[in-house]
Amino acid sequence: MATRTLPKTDVVIVGGGWTGLTAAYELAHAGQRCVVLERGQNRHTATSFAGPEEHDELKYALRHGHMQDLKKETLTFRNNRDQQALPMRRLGSFLPGTGLGGAGIHWNGQIWRPLPSDLEMRSHYEDRYGSQFIPDDLTIQDWGVTYDELEPHLDFFERICGAAGYAGNLNGETRAGGNVFEGQRSADYPNPAMKQPISNTLFGKAAEKLGYNPFPMPSANVTQAYENPYGAQLHPCTYCGFCERFGCGYFAKADPIICVYDRIKDHDNFEIRFEAQVLRVEKSEDGQTATGVTYLGEDGVEVFQPADTVCLNAYGLWNVHLMLVSDLGKPYDPATRTGVVGRNYAYQTVAAVDAFFDSDVITNPFMGAGALGVVVDDFNGDNFDHAELGFLGGGYIACKQYNGRPISYQPTPEGTPAWGGDWKRAVRENYNHHGDLVIHGSSVSTHENYLDLDPTWTDAYGRPLLRMTFNFPDNDRKMGDYVMNRAVEIAQEMDNVTSVSSVNMAAKGKDYSIVPYQTTHNAGGAVMGTDPTTSVVNRFGQMWDHHNVFVFGACLFPQNPGYNPTGPLMGLAYWTLDHMKTDYLSNPRPLMDA
Amino acid sequence: MTLVYHSINGEISMHHRFSRRAVLLSMGGAALSASMPVRHAFAQMDAEPWAFLTDDEARWLAAIADIFIPEDDHPSASQAGVVDYIDMQLATGYGQGQGLYLQGPFPEGTPEQGWQLPVTPAELIRNGIAAAREETDLATLPDTDRLTWVEAFSKREDPIGDAPAQTFFGELLSLTKEGYFADPIYLGNHDYAGWRMVGFPGAHAYFTERVGDNAPTKQPPMGIAHGQLGHRAPRPISQEG
Ligand SMILES: Cc1cc2nc3c(=O)[nH]c(=O)nc-3n(C[C@H](O)[C@H](O)[C@H](O)COP(=O)(O)OP(=O)(O)OC[C@H]3O[C@@H](n4cnc5c(N)ncnc54)[C@H](O)[C@@H]3O)c2cc1C
Ligand code: SF4
Repeated sequence: MATRTLPKTDVVIVGGGWTGLTAAYELAHAGQRCVVLERGQNRHTATSFAGPEEHDELKYALRHGHMQDLKKETLTFRNNRDQQALPMRRLGSFLPGTGLGGAGIHWNGQIWRPLPSDLEMRSHYEDRYGSQFIPDDLTIQDWGVTYDELEPHLDFFERICGAAGYAGNLNGETRAGGNVFEGQRSADYPNPAMKQPISNTLFGKAAEKLGYNPFPMPSANVTQAYENPYGAQLHPCTYCGFCERFGCGYFAKADPIICVYDRIKDHDNFEIRFEAQVLRVEKSEDGQTATGVTYLGEDGVEVFQPADTVCLNAYGLWNVHLMLVSDLGKPYDPATRTGVVGRNYAYQTVAAVDAFFDSDVITNPFMGAGALGVVVDDFNGDNFDHAELGFLGGGYIACKQYNGRPISYQPTPEGTPAWGGDWKRAVRENYNHHGDLVIHGSSVSTHENYLDLDPTWTDAYGRPLLRMTFNFPDNDRKMGDYVMNRAVEIAQEMDNVTSVSSVNMAAKGKDYSIVPYQTTHNAGGAVMGTDPTTSVVNRFGQMWDHHNVFVFGACLFPQNPGYNPTGPLMGLAYWTLDHMKTDYLSNPRPLMDA
Repeated sequence: MTLVYHSINGEISMHHRFSRRAVLLSMGGAALSASMPVRHAFAQMDAEPWAFLTDDEARWLAAIADIFIPEDDHPSASQAGVVDYIDMQLATGYGQGQGLYLQGPFPEGTPEQGWQLPVTPAELIRNGIAAAREETDLATLPDTDRLTWVEAFSKREDPIGDAPAQTFFGELLSLTKEGYFADPIYLGNHDYAGWRMVGFPGAHAYFTERVGDNAPTKQPPMGIAHGQLGHRAPRPISQEG
């Protein structure tokens, strides 16, 4: 029981990352008194992330200086229901954030939109390939919101970030040099695309030779002085190479502190409390609504913060955890395939291709940035004919140069030993002559990949840990191989390349592992939709069971498209906030009939 | 002096033993003593204890680290301060289990489930070295036999002490590579050995003008505390017990 009860606020927001701070900005300006509860500490871009101290590979990239402390909260993991799930004792596969700005501080800044067909995945594939095409074990479904509905919101988030890129579909006009497969844009990117290093340029040339459509990766590493719609000032990126896993002290990577927090922190309707660990959402006696949240304050005392509206912005996984420990929504049970909370957990299917150049190509890999890449989208989504392929979904292929940080960046050709004199020579000889290709693939949902509560282990607050059951579906193993082989062909076509090697994280026979980093793109678990038996929230992000609880983040995705999630999930956030402001708050009620 | 340096020292727990005075002796024959820069004040260094390691452990680590990263045109691991690095890492956050969830029970897992040991990395390394030394003390083997021993160990399936041999081995290899390439504020990568080897210019990074070039970078490396912190030489490691 909470030992202290505070005065009621209009809106309580759990989490101070991209979605939480944005919700606070928009709702505070709509006249709502907002309290943000952030479990981590206060920090500021200018003072907390300044070089050269921030440029400490060991502290931030390897020892996870900005990330969540697993001693306090973690999850358990297993590949399938026959195993016992065991705690994720060390960070690895994904790196959730903590503290002001959340993971939005140490993200790369690759800013994507979903394809129109991604948002209507089930009906799109059925329409194009027939209703027999989708295997029974897949639980993919439509999002309940269309690309055209999201477009203004996707566009607005790109403006908030000062995104740099080149439109491939501007008001219906296809433009070579941009992504010709993308949905129609109402405006071009606010800033010009990034400069590309030699390896990415050679990749683009090879891709073009093969008849593909390369374009610069859309980037929230800003390319010129820029003011966003909230009035935040951003500066041009220095290509410093300490981007992913680091905060940007140059005001060049769009993050929630510079872009949002600084523009709202002094507003009368805004308050944020740090080191405020939300333990659970409280419900009214009839169970129909939430009454607020209970959190553990800085002083270790449990505090109840009553509120008219509760926003869950704690990152996808932890939103699901909060729902489960608070008994919000019906938990998913894979045995009966009923219930919804935890259903359709999905990840990202990643493969990598290494191209090694001769000594004529000097890549200077340390001149990098989080979203510095040239991309081919010809094998993403349904941009290619799947009729004969035996899988659905796809991924983008990018040649990227994020960093040459020497502990982690040690590309060596296949067959190089892991240590010793030959290893040492190979590291030295290849460091400056390497092209780094990634295949960033979609992840379908199935009956067997899901989240629930662990029966054995607890967090530092005594709550059962979240339990993740996940393995790569066969569909995605095939998809990963197929797209990776296209990437290998491009790599072999690149000038000055002497050898190519590849690895598919989802190769046949290889179980998903929690150990090596893949992506922090955990999706699903509290999915959106138009049917309460297969979704936790309706198409506006509002819980079916508790109309004053709104949910944000990639947990809404019914399956994960082949893109990084923040563009899509922020598009959804603005979509939800728009409906809250214009429709819900003046007349709180379920926005859709169950 | 930088903040970073202070905070590293500040984190060292107070329980370390005061190791006896290290005696300067070469590790692999004359090569190391010849390559030791003369400008360092060894007298002062000798008095400095290890933060975590015993002399025996340090000797063992130097032996294995120099198999992982042997001397060639560029320094070996121990010449670059990797043992000093490991010592500091084991004494501070990482070694002491910072960010590591250690609530039991501890059933055995699959490799995909990652670290499931009931110990901190410092305990893993300490116990592992003790168990390995009980079988054969790597540091006392002739140079030519060390490589064979490490090769065999890298494929070992039997546990070492209480720990899976591969976990212990993997941790040692990671620590060695980290020490060779991490910023010198962590006491390895002495004189930017690792960074010079690959051509990494370091922590001061502004490349807006040069990013599209296809040309070598001439810039010498600069670490976080460049010019502010007198990088000290790796501690000399005695080969005699
Ligand atoms: C290394 C890395 C690189 C990435 N790169 C990209 C990229 O290039 N492109 C892309 O699209 N996405 C990328 N991402 C993903 C991106 O960071 C997330 O999609 C985004 O931050 C999600 O925003 P959010 O608001 O949902 O969650 P977060 O930003 O994680 O914010 C959640 C906040 O809630 C707080 N919180 C959690 N639980 C509680 C609780 N119980 N009580 C109080 N507070 C709580 C957390 O401390 C955190 O601050 C990357 C992520 C990582 C880690
Ligand atoms: S690469 Fe650019 S955006 Fe990223 S941290 Fe460096 S300056 Fe900032």
